[in-house]
Amino acid sequence: MQSVTDLALPHLPIEEPAFAADPMPYIEAARRQHPWLAKCNGGYVVHGYQAIKDLLYMDDRLSASSDDIIEIMGAKGTRWGKFIQEMVLAKSGPEHARLRGSIAAAFTPRNVNRYRPLMQEVVSRLLDEWAPKGTFNFAEFASYFPITVLCRIIGASPAAIPNLRHALETLGLAYSMDRSLMPELEAAYNQAWGFADQLVIERQTRGSSGEDLLDVMIAAKAAGQLNEQELRDMLVFLFVAGFDTSKNALTLIMHSMLRHPEHWVRCAEDQVFCDKVVEEQFRHTATTSIPRTLAEDVSYGDIRFPTGSMLIFAVPMSGRDPTAFSDPMMFQPERISANRHMAFGRGMHMCLGQHLARAQIGEGVHLMAQRITKPRLVGEVTWRRFPGVWGISSLPIAFEPNAHLKASAVHANS
Amino acid sequence: MVKITYIEASGAEHVIDVMPGLSIMEGAVKNNVPGILADCGGACACGTCRVFVDEAWRERTGKPSDMEEAMLELHDDPSPGQRLSCQIRAVENLNGLVVRMPKSQF
Ligand code: HEM
Ligand code: FES
Repeated sequence: MQSVTDLALPHLPIEEPAFAADPMPYIEAARRQHPWLAKCNGGYVVHGYQAIKDLLYMDDRLSASSDDIIEIMGAKGTRWGKFIQEMVLAKSGPEHARLRGSIAAAFTPRNVNRYRPLMQEVVSRLLDEWAPKGTFNFAEFASYFPITVLCRIIGASPAAIPNLRHALETLGLAYSMDRSLMPELEAAYNQAWGFADQLVIERQTRGSSGEDLLDVMIAAKAAGQLNEQELRDMLVFLFVAGFDTSKNALTLIMHSMLRHPEHWVRCAEDQVFCDKVVEEQFRHTATTSIPRTLAEDVSYGDIRFPTGSMLIFAVPMSGRDPTAFSDPMMFQPERISANRHMAFGRGMHMCLGQHLARAQIGEGVHLMAQRITKPRLVGEVTWRRFPGVWGISSLPIAFEPNAHLKASAVHANS
Repeated sequence: MVKITYIEASGAEHVIDVMPGLSIMEGAVKNNVPGILADCGGACACGTCRVFVDEAWRERTGKPSDMEEAMLELHDDPSPGQRLSCQIRAVENLNGLVVRMPKSQF
């Protein structure tokens, strides 16, 4: 057994733009020195599939790295810092179970399936507005889809979307480890919180209109599962958790489809195939890296990690591990594998919104493929920072707009 | 201990003594029984710990909760006896329980 501090490990510059734009040369070089582990500023990067699968599952020995992030960002005493400390992702044990349990029933596949017509309607309306342009930054277009779906599910007015979207763009940089962003993060959090607060007050004054997600959350508060602050923070968290992730996943799919026009054509025809494309994208390029700090010493393989070590689980690289997936860089929607991707994490914090995310991305891709035909790249692709939520920030495309919907999709517009 | 027989889709059998109080899912994962992924660690959130309870045991394992049923809709599988193994506790009267695992959990 060796202490990790005595190992000669490769260094990965994960915060650098060049790494984000193309991590593979770095990862391949690192793998030659150690198959699944590297160093980075402030901690270690776990990038091998099996090691992530095993280590991330040790929930009782890991804590979310909130304190480290607050330290790195100089966020002590800020409202944003408190949010990062109190959010469901930062909690463990009974407190985590209480927070997560207060809303979990709303995110089951059965519940999510009820929203499919709404998802179709939202994406159809967006396409009505955007597709006639014939050219746009796909990442910008895609950003309006998940946020509008969530606003509809929660009963928020669409008038709130532009400001909220702006706040979420900023809050998505929380894990970028860039301290200079602090004032913007604080302002963005205050804005998102104000939105949540107003939403709750309005609903409480007006009374419940049915059983939407906000009603479920207000009922959880009435039952003592959430307090006033937690209710608002949970709303903010749901928007933050669902925004960048979904928009980036959609943009990455379009990026892959530019190289595989035959798949895009088939996506327009075949919903089942769409879902396979979505899953293969999650495998090929997942968005979210997961930071954890060790709450006690952990031994894994022949390596001992001391308490307090920060591990960055580079989930986006796990699907590219050749020991877990054959020809990992090939995009093969019909791929059959004994291993499953970990794009939604693993263990007790595994994404609560995964079924919602899958449904909305699947529905979205199917309708987009019908209306955005023959897409091609017409400018430079730029990448977001790798830590936190990775993905493409700019994907300029041009295409042939197609106004003719497949018959099965027409009802969505009625 | 509660004796549980896990049968893989290939027919391979694993007979495991599970500590009372653990879930049937934990009994498999802690003993490296292949065929149960359990990505969410037992939160009834991922649907990757699915098993089919043998007919003789269905009364004793009981009915899935509303939440579990709503999760099982993920699979669109009409086979009887379908359960999420993280939602079944290993208790004394399940000694001898037989569960079968699907070909794939996803
Ligand atoms: C493609 C889209 C999405 C991806 C890739 C994704 C990914 C993830 C990942 C990796 C985690 C675990 C983080 C960790 O362990 O530290 C997570 C947690 C979470 N996600 Fe998602 N997510 C997506 C969409 C959504 C949506 C749409 C929602 C809800 C509206 C959502 C709600 C949550 C919540 C509440 C948690 C925290 C769960 C907990 O701490 O117990 N996510 N997500
Ligand atoms: S372990 Fe995830 S649903 Fe049972």
